[in-house]
Amino acid sequence: MSSPSLRLCCVVHRFGADIAGGSEGHCRAVAERLATRHDVTILTTTAKDHVSWRNEYPAGQADVGRLHVHRFPVVRQRRIREFAALSEVVFAGDASPDTQIEWFRRNGPEVPDLLAHLETHGHRYDLVLFWSFRYYQSFFGVPIVADRAVLVPTAEEDLAIRIGALKRFFSRPAGMVYLTPEEQVLVERQVDGRVPPSCIIGCGLEPPAAHDRAALAPVGVTPPYVLYLGRIDPNKGCETLVRFYMRWADRLPADGGSVALRHAIPLVMAGPPNMPIPSHPALRALGYVDAPVREALLGEASLLVVPSPYESLSMVLLEAWNHAVPALVNARCRVLEGQARRAGGALAYRNYDEFAVALDRLLRDVSVARQLGAAGRAYVDETYRWPHVMETLERFLVSLRQPVRFA
Amino acid sequence: MSTPEASGRATVARLMREIEDEVREQRRSRLIARGAPDDYRDEAVFAVVESVLRRAVEERDGQALLIPQLLDSDTDWELRLPLELKSHRRLTGPFILFVKRRLLLPIMHWLYEYSLENFRRQARVNRILFASLEELAIEHGKLRLRLGLEDDAEDHGSKS
Repeated sequence: MSSPSLRLCCVVHRFGADIAGGSEGHCRAVAERLATRHDVTILTTTAKDHVSWRNEYPAGQADVGRLHVHRFPVVRQRRIREFAALSEVVFAGDASPDTQIEWFRRNGPEVPDLLAHLETHGHRYDLVLFWSFRYYQSFFGVPIVADRAVLVPTAEEDLAIRIGALKRFFSRPAGMVYLTPEEQVLVERQVDGRVPPSCIIGCGLEPPAAHDRAALAPVGVTPPYVLYLGRIDPNKGCETLVRFYMRWADRLPADGGSVALRHAIPLVMAGPPNMPIPSHPALRALGYVDAPVREALLGEASLLVVPSPYESLSMVLLEAWNHAVPALVNARCRVLEGQARRAGGALAYRNYDEFAVALDRLLRDVSVARQLGAAGRAYVDETYRWPHVMETLERFLVSLRQPVRFA
Repeated sequence: MSTPEASGRATVARLMREIEDEVREQRRSRLIARGAPDDYRDEAVFAVVESVLRRAVEERDGQALLIPQLLDSDTDWELRLPLELKSHRRLTGPFILFVKRRLLLPIMHWLYEYSLENFRRQARVNRILFASLEELAIEHGKLRLRLGLEDDAEDHGSKS
């Protein structure tokens, strides 16, 4: 695509190759690809830990590949207990406007120097892209450069999206970039006034590299297995998943079979644990796994299960489909249910009964499982390859702003 | 020609219908075996009941309900989850608050968090009950209109 080169600024709460967060990873992947055709500056913080926002990276400017990275120090660490108490008040729905604004300040990472930079230099950029509505840099930064601000909200259906102060905030940016149609509906429902123009890009994936099944041997996993991949956390629906799976595994199938056979198909959970995992013959917790094991786990799984109630886009679901692996997802999450329906690559459950019946179907009927996996793969090929994602984004950015020419 | 996505979508839609039917039948049998109302022996009745309640549980927005709006003039009914520490004593108040915040609260925090989680559950159950009542009221209202009983409804309103 031939389009004019732009001066772009990407504002994100954390930035670095060693940072695993979803919106941070999305920002980095998009910024690196934008930088092949545009001049891209990253404004970010010196924080690495997303809980405390402790300063860990050095402040200042440095070039990382084609990106100009400018880090600003965080002036106040987040106190989780106090923040949780404030969240209770704000999420109850009757907090004053000042208290709501205070919630965004306390959520952090508080970087007043970044805001000062936007005040002074914001006009030099053609567009300023902000990732994640819920953090300080977006909530206070967007109004400073509203005429050229593009918000990538990464909104989920959690309580934060209902904060009253967002009604006006979401009407401020020049444009919005969404990850799914469900996210667009969720955010636009909150807007009070002008609905900014928008596009839906999702996130790009490379075609899967060939995986080595032998990589599973050191971690003691052999197919068949059901896979959960990601942070093992109650907020990701893992407590419910573990409960459902143990219940399914311990129950005699209605049409015969044995409990031992069900125990022979374990739920393999790969990811850093943030909750206790019960000792049970049908559960295998691997903790953090490296890239070759991760790819092999995805490539050899009978199916992936995604129990999260809140998602703005499930990358791990797309990765499973990239490997033509079918999935079972939590239908109470509209994004997951929408992804599954559009792709034709996953079944969805609302409760234990549906979970158990759907799991049995996918494990027993190999041809159906293959068909769903193939549909998921075709959906990823059509919608989530980087060239397609970047073309959609760049066309949208160019439509928002003609470039400023400097003598 | 059918693409893999199109045939996948069709298969998912068919499977989801089959799964819902199978689960509904499992539930009906289970409830009848436990002594549920005889009305549930009629599959059609059970399907309608399940559909109305399911709409309340799964589709209604807990923040957009009529009953809380009707109760709005009296906020005492609502569970208050945040812990607010106050004292009406002008002189000793700051000291009492200091003791509560710095000494008692840290000691009792586990109990507070335990109670909070249970209150959250209760608040969730309340919302679902409100939503269920509203779904039934909506069904009832629609039926009244369909039967031409709307004038009767107005009469009831004017008497109260």
